[in-house]
Amino acid sequence: DGVAVLPPPYNLSVQSTNMKHLLTWSPVSVPGEIIHYFVEYQGEYESLYMSHVWIPSSWCSPAKGPECDITDDITATVPYNLRVRATQGSETSAWSTLKHPFNRNSTILTPPVMEITKDGFHLVIKLEDLGPQFEFLVAYWRREPGAKEHVKVVRSRGIPVHLETMQPGAAYCVKVRTFVKAIGRHSPFSQAECVKVQGETLPL
Amino acid sequence: GLRRCLLSMDIHHIEESFQEIKKTIQAKDTFQNVTILSTLETLKSIKPLDVCCVTKNLLAFYVDKVFKDHQELNPKILRKISSIANSFLYMQKALQQCQEQKQCHCREEATNATRIIHDNYSQLEVQSAAIKSLGELDVFLAWIDKNHQGTSA
Repeated sequence: DGVAVLPPPYNLSVQSTNMKHLLTWSPVSVPGEIIHYFVEYQGEYESLYMSHVWIPSSWCSPAKGPECDITDDITATVPYNLRVRATQGSETSAWSTLKHPFNRNSTILTPPVMEITKDGFHLVIKLEDLGPQFEFLVAYWRREPGAKEHVKVVRSRGIPVHLETMQPGAAYCVKVRTFVKAIGRHSPFSQAECVKVQGETLPL
Repeated sequence: GLRRCLLSMDIHHIEESFQEIKKTIQAKDTFQNVTILSTLETLKSIKPLDVCCVTKNLLAFYVDKVFKDHQELNPKILRKISSIANSFLYMQKALQQCQEQKQCHCREEATNATRIIHDNYSQLEVQSAAIKSLGELDVFLAWIDKNHQGTSA
């Protein structure tokens, strides 16, 4: 009967970096109309034991734009099904479902940003706050032949941490990587950064 | 023991999820003087050798029975229960890998402890039993945490 049916969103995909997960899709456009989107998810538990149950996303029921931060919904290291539909006034599209379930263990872990400073003879590191799921593995050494590499696990976030009391005239280098216990994975190490007491940060 | 099996578990996150719904769930429990897990002083008396098996059995109790029997309409509560259920599913897989390395045998004491829970559960009408068991999740989580000490997040 020629009734215009609202097309569903398409091209669903998830971009996940450092345990932040963003679901995106190609928008539905109807000239002159405002489109909203509803996102729902089900974890492996629901798909195995109660497949009729879909849970409204925490932040996108509805969403105005063609993306949804699903980080707070993906809270276990199991595959999650995700679906989106469009609405315009009382009209609702069909659901569009992510082709492959998403598991947060596929997140991209990037080398963390660090700030190395000297406080007198003290070597101090400050690490970016990536959230409660991240630990930092800091490796530091005195730059001289045969020097031993020391390792410190840092769980505090965004606050300076003392690493070492430096010897005058010596140069010290630091590199760091993250560890996410919930998925049992490390990031690559950052570039090493070196400082010298009474000197400037030296490029490698 | 359990520590090697559940090393990578983020128990703390599961406890947080439960704390957010505990009051609401426990308020729905109409049989306050009856318990399903809490009678289990035996949980405290479970020997290290039986910890893995009792954990596996209690995870199965929640995954196969409690979460399924409980129908939740409130999206906020549903999200938290889903988070716990999927975390338990992940823990089951971790324990399964442990079992393949033969570190999770079930002795009679462990099997008896689990049967008491199932018997308690079946004394009540299903919805009541499910809501009560959900409300007692902190007993089970505290027991896991205690047997998992030193590595929780």
